[in-house]
Amino acid sequence: MKNKFSPYVPRLATLKSKKKLSDYVTLFRFEQDNGRPLAHSPGQFIQVSIFGIGEAPFSITSPPIREHHYFEIAVRKIGSVTTALHNLKPGDKIGVRGPYGSSFPMQKFIGKDMLFIAGGLGFIPLRSVLNYMIRHRDEYGKIMLLVGTRNPKERIFIDQLEEMSKREDIKVLETVDVPDETWKGNVGVITTLLPKITIEPENTYVAMVGPPIMYKFVIAECKKMGISEDKIFVSLERRMKCGLGKCGHCQINGLSCCVDGPVFCYTDIASLEEAI
Amino acid sequence: MSAHVVYLEQLPSLFEKWKEKFKLFVPQKKGDYYLLQEYERGQEICFDYDVIYNPIKSFLFPSYETLLDFDLKTYASKPVVDAEPQILFGIHPYDIKAINQLDQLMEMGSVDVNYRARRDKTVIMGLEPLRVAKTAFWSFMDAEKVDFGFDLFWTKIGPSAFVVEVGSVLGEELLFVNGKVDVATAAEKEVARRKHQEIVKKAKMQNVLKFPNTDIPKVMAKSFNSYVWIEKSRKCLSCGSCNFICPTCYCFDIQDEVDDLLKKGKRYRTWDGCMLRSFASIAGGHNFRKQVFERYRHRYMRKGRYIYDLLGELGCVGCGRCIQSCPARIANPLEIFNFLWEDVSYEK
Repeated sequence: MKNKFSPYVPRLATLKSKKKLSDYVTLFRFEQDNGRPLAHSPGQFIQVSIFGIGEAPFSITSPPIREHHYFEIAVRKIGSVTTALHNLKPGDKIGVRGPYGSSFPMQKFIGKDMLFIAGGLGFIPLRSVLNYMIRHRDEYGKIMLLVGTRNPKERIFIDQLEEMSKREDIKVLETVDVPDETWKGNVGVITTLLPKITIEPENTYVAMVGPPIMYKFVIAECKKMGISEDKIFVSLERRMKCGLGKCGHCQINGLSCCVDGPVFCYTDIASLEEAI
Repeated sequence: MSAHVVYLEQLPSLFEKWKEKFKLFVPQKKGDYYLLQEYERGQEICFDYDVIYNPIKSFLFPSYETLLDFDLKTYASKPVVDAEPQILFGIHPYDIKAINQLDQLMEMGSVDVNYRARRDKTVIMGLEPLRVAKTAFWSFMDAEKVDFGFDLFWTKIGPSAFVVEVGSVLGEELLFVNGKVDVATAAEKEVARRKHQEIVKKAKMQNVLKFPNTDIPKVMAKSFNSYVWIEKSRKCLSCGSCNFICPTCYCFDIQDEVDDLLKKGKRYRTWDGCMLRSFASIAGGHNFRKQVFERYRHRYMRKGRYIYDLLGELGCVGCGRCIQSCPARIANPLEIFNFLWEDVSYEK
């Protein structure tokens, strides 16, 4: 029975570089030891193993690009696996299973305007979609990005945000819940940004990721703006443990977030009591 | 398939023969409970048990199971898929139904290789119940009879005779290891049928589900915001007994373990339960089922509705184990189903 296949066996990947994004969040770039790209779609997640510590799910933040053999995850130092990840040095190994789960429907978005709503670390999975669209910029319409952060110190991907706000084809709006003396931008929760943009509701798709509390309010605001439910896509966070739809931790009513999600069209989950 | 007659005195020699190739587990009485334990020569077998206290899933999906062996130096890992041939003798129909359900769930989407390997090496020998547990209501959950999922099915038709229904080729081979046995006559088969009818009738006399079980998913769908969840779960200790004892619960957790020298380790899975407080909590401390009633409700929704949506059959087989094991005496699916049905019907 020795060489039997098991879906729990991770592939190896090597840490190529680390970049600090904020006090607790770091961007990690990995390359798979088998030399192949990860072959993921924007919105999917992977299970990262640090042997001896455990396994945890992370959203992939890099877009799928044929020439790029690396993939990136951005991680907040908050538990045992994430702390172990932060202690890695370039050249160290991790185990990777996946990519798992559903992804944002990039084909559906072609020719449409996009409204990204990112709350806190929700920007991490959305960055995969956003960078994919920027790379194929001519295929998509207007791109609007709303970013909400708890306080200015926790802002992530600041360089990219600044670079994008200089571009004319992307509209970037930022807000923080609690400002400090250095902050000169908007203040307030993310829903306060929505009145500041103008959209064509029939032609706009929404992709949003954020903390659990955010969805209910933002979806209500979007509906007020005239966006229909089938044009709203959310990515939900649950405790994915096996990634195969077996272990039960990520159940949302009868669905398994790891195989049926994490990306859902809002119409599919609007009737589920436990989803939003 | 065919049916045969086996006499009690033939059993020891059959068991001895089977033990050469299989681990043989039979129902035995231990104190106040009946357990499925390994057979040893000359041991008494309990044919008239009411319910086996250890859930049968533990023989196919053990509470602790190694998935991977890994090396911390080289970071190499290899899968561990252990399975030993085993015979589970004397399994009641409702437990066979639970195994059939697990087979389907473990096969859906990504196949669970560890479960599958064990299941492939397991022979299941059913047994017609002779007694009904005080807490059982399987006769109302379509679990009084199974048509598949067993290799042999035994019905005790008298003090020393059994009618044995063959369910698979392997089952027939095992029955004939000591030479062919008599084919059951029409009269003997009729006795077996009557034994079945008798026990079902007996089971239907107690713990009555007041409405057809096909309505349970509909009733559950209307009851998400019922007050019964809060009221019942007030006493819940979140101990997870009902999860671990349930023959159809299969949630698990995956963890790592390293040896003293920090050189080698293994990744294993253990049973987990949706009634436990941290079951749906994520990094950062958010818990998607923080309140006891949310977890309590999730468990019954899963049994009465979510599994039905997936497979078209209920997730509860009515074995009554959870009713016995709950220290707070609140885990009672029958009571919940009946109550919600009355509640929902009354609203109309």
